[in-house]
Amino acid sequence: MVTYLARRLPSAVLVLFLASLLIFAILRLVPGSPEETLAGADASPEQLAAVRADLGLDRPLVAQYLSWLGSLFRFDLGKSYIVGGSIGDLIAYGAQNTVVLAASALLIAVVYALVVSTASVIFRNRLLDAVVTVNNSIAAALPIFITGTLLVLVFGILWPILPSGGTPPDGFLTRPDIAAQYLILPAITLAIPAGAALTRFLVEALHTELRQPYVVTAQSIGVSRRRIVLAHALPNALPSVLTVLGLTVGGLLGGAVLVESIFVWPGLGLLTEEAINSRDYPLVQVLLVLSVAVFVVLQLLTDVAHAWLDPRIRLGGQA
Amino acid sequence: MSSRFRTSTTHPRRGLVVSAVVAALVMLVTGCTSAVGLQRSGTESVLQQGEDVPTGGTARIGVGADLIPATFLSLGNNPTNGGVSANVFDTLVQYPHGSLEPEPRLATSWQLSDDGRRLELALRDDVRFHNGKEFTSRDVEFTLRTYTDPSWNAQFRRTAAAITAFDTSDPHRIVLTLSQPTGNIFDLLAVAPILDGDTVDGLKEGRVFNGTGPFTFFSWQPKVSLSLARNPDYWGDPPHLDGVTFAVVSDDQALVTKLRTGQIDAAYDLPSLDAELAVSRGGFRSHVLEGAESDQYIGINVSAPPLNDLRVRQAIAYAIDRDRILTDVYRGKGYASSLPWPRTSPAYDEQTANTYGRDEERARALVAEIGDVPTIPLNYPADRTSRIIAEIIQANLRDVGIDVDLIPTDAAQMTSLLVAGQFPGLWVTQHGFAQMTPSTLAVAAFPFNAVKNASNFLDPEYQAHAVAAWQQQDPTSPAAIDAYRALNADLLESLFLVEIGVVQTEVVVSTDLGGFDWSRTNDPRFDSTYLLRT
Repeated sequence: MVTYLARRLPSAVLVLFLASLLIFAILRLVPGSPEETLAGADASPEQLAAVRADLGLDRPLVAQYLSWLGSLFRFDLGKSYIVGGSIGDLIAYGAQNTVVLAASALLIAVVYALVVSTASVIFRNRLLDAVVTVNNSIAAALPIFITGTLLVLVFGILWPILPSGGTPPDGFLTRPDIAAQYLILPAITLAIPAGAALTRFLVEALHTELRQPYVVTAQSIGVSRRRIVLAHALPNALPSVLTVLGLTVGGLLGGAVLVESIFVWPGLGLLTEEAINSRDYPLVQVLLVLSVAVFVVLQLLTDVAHAWLDPRIRLGGQA
Repeated sequence: MSSRFRTSTTHPRRGLVVSAVVAALVMLVTGCTSAVGLQRSGTESVLQQGEDVPTGGTARIGVGADLIPATFLSLGNNPTNGGVSANVFDTLVQYPHGSLEPEPRLATSWQLSDDGRRLELALRDDVRFHNGKEFTSRDVEFTLRTYTDPSWNAQFRRTAAAITAFDTSDPHRIVLTLSQPTGNIFDLLAVAPILDGDTVDGLKEGRVFNGTGPFTFFSWQPKVSLSLARNPDYWGDPPHLDGVTFAVVSDDQALVTKLRTGQIDAAYDLPSLDAELAVSRGGFRSHVLEGAESDQYIGINVSAPPLNDLRVRQAIAYAIDRDRILTDVYRGKGYASSLPWPRTSPAYDEQTANTYGRDEERARALVAEIGDVPTIPLNYPADRTSRIIAEIIQANLRDVGIDVDLIPTDAAQMTSLLVAGQFPGLWVTQHGFAQMTPSTLAVAAFPFNAVKNASNFLDPEYQAHAVAAWQQQDPTSPAAIDAYRALNADLLESLFLVEIGVVQTEVVVSTDLGGFDWSRTNDPRFDSTYLLRT
């Protein structure tokens, strides 16, 4: 397993390096610059030049890139041009909120998928199947910004039983009951399309498993359908859903940007959007490289999990 | 035989487990405290006649932008920057809402010499910074010198640069020597927050905000919220509030929702339609910030064909339906004008303020005279309000035979194009400074700057008139009014930008919040604000 991991690491590092270069370059190509954002519309050329020098943006691009790369290797993420504070602190706070949101959404999506798909397969009710199919289709098709806005309208304004946005004022751990109420609407919004996708794959995987010979054997000796599905088919179907789960996690992190905006949830998505809008180069660079790193790590973990589950993969296809 | 398949179908404990889970969920739900209830906690009351203003509570203000320390001395419509500046710091003087007659603040009195080149200010002797340091004339000198530092991007840099010497021999008196009579010197003194030289580096980095104001800087979670706390040692009347919290909400709809659900007590920068609905249906109150008006305008790059033809610019000026924009978009919170000045400004001229009312016939005649007018690009900020304005302008111009391509542009790019003067044609946005001393507009606001502006309009006569207006010692004297008339004539004849109208800034507040106040530059001030919610 360690050898397998060691074989995969160099390509992961290469991807990160190329991503950093691309991100650095593309940011400089986008119209607008941080010195103009800071200097404002009334700035004179002298003021612009002063701000540019203050930010170190008057140095050659190669020098700027190497300096930034060097600081990353020293685990110095730098300071935000706009806020002035430590990027590490900004990201830590945002990451905490995004992880809580994404984890909650993932939990809801997985529980929903497990319950709905197993119920659909166990009870084999056509009406239930139809409801699940329609529900999943709508959930997958409806954009997050519509479901989020609708949930805010219904539960935040018309029938105000849940907060319409923001994070719990005392943090997540001091009052878990309050924290849960703040989490419900954004987590459900984020979970809906993910749950629909997971359900569809899990139902297909279960049906595939139920066509296996061992299932026929079990049925013939009188094992209940519920037991066959829950104790045997489901564990065997899960590995094939693992890949989808990896993609789902990526989708959750991407969808978090919209959800964070609708619910004023100060996570990494909102931080990235605002940093891009204000051309906060150091913050955007770190956030985007971090996004790439997360995907690379997820991909690596997924591959490792597959290799663990299927020895043929880690042995390079040997019998 | 053993079988890996258990055939037993009875699960006597399953029912117990399910019941236990359901019971636990019910207990959890019924035992929870309502988060919505906590947001709205407190009993509302009404201030009775003759009753003392209540003390206590923290006002929660929803704002669209976060604090940007590096732009602290730059006036740019950021209510968080302005909120910190106006409440954590003090200025030397302040303007009342309806007048440009300065009132004492940290400066108690002043004397301007007859030639306008020497200004002596007496300073309070009972003021301390929040860290205990005594306020002296040296701090005034430091602040005004800081305004000349280009890295701070202060619009009043040119005015500050006119101060060539400081006499701070007396810690409670300062004498400023000016290179020329400077008509807007009190604008500078009314906007400049008095800084502490020892901690100004920390200010720029967003670490230290050491002022003399009624509130201290308490805490800041970037992109989320910023809190101020009452200064118990304030030199003036102590504030009624325990504190103020600015909640950063960048999305308009989320801001409306927070206001309607009681998560905030006031909302800045709400689109006018949302503000109107909040007042008419939500029971909120609207504060129109009198004296802090801004202007909606169409900028024109006069170096870009066909806009280098004055007739095209005139056609545009005659084609625009200003009343429709102010009614439909700003819901009547403003009035049409061809000049940038609000009605309270000494430069306002009733006779010429409506020179360019909507006259489709005249506009079409001008276009016919020109012949074929190529399509003109129009950049607008990528927000809902600006998009609607741009679409109205596009329709108005199409009516008179001028086609316009709409180009949504994000804020950073708008700034970039403004600073470089590289708009390909037209643009729409707002400008401020017309509510200050009129000469400030031509020396500080970039769209109007006579030396260099976004329209690439360079005219020696306009430059001369701008300087002449700036050098009027008394900004309300007959000579000053004549100077402003000359500026007005330049603006109306050259049309390097087309004013749509004066727009009144509006803040929507809950009925819990009383005593809401603001500065001339649109900054919220909380020294007299109180909460009725107990």
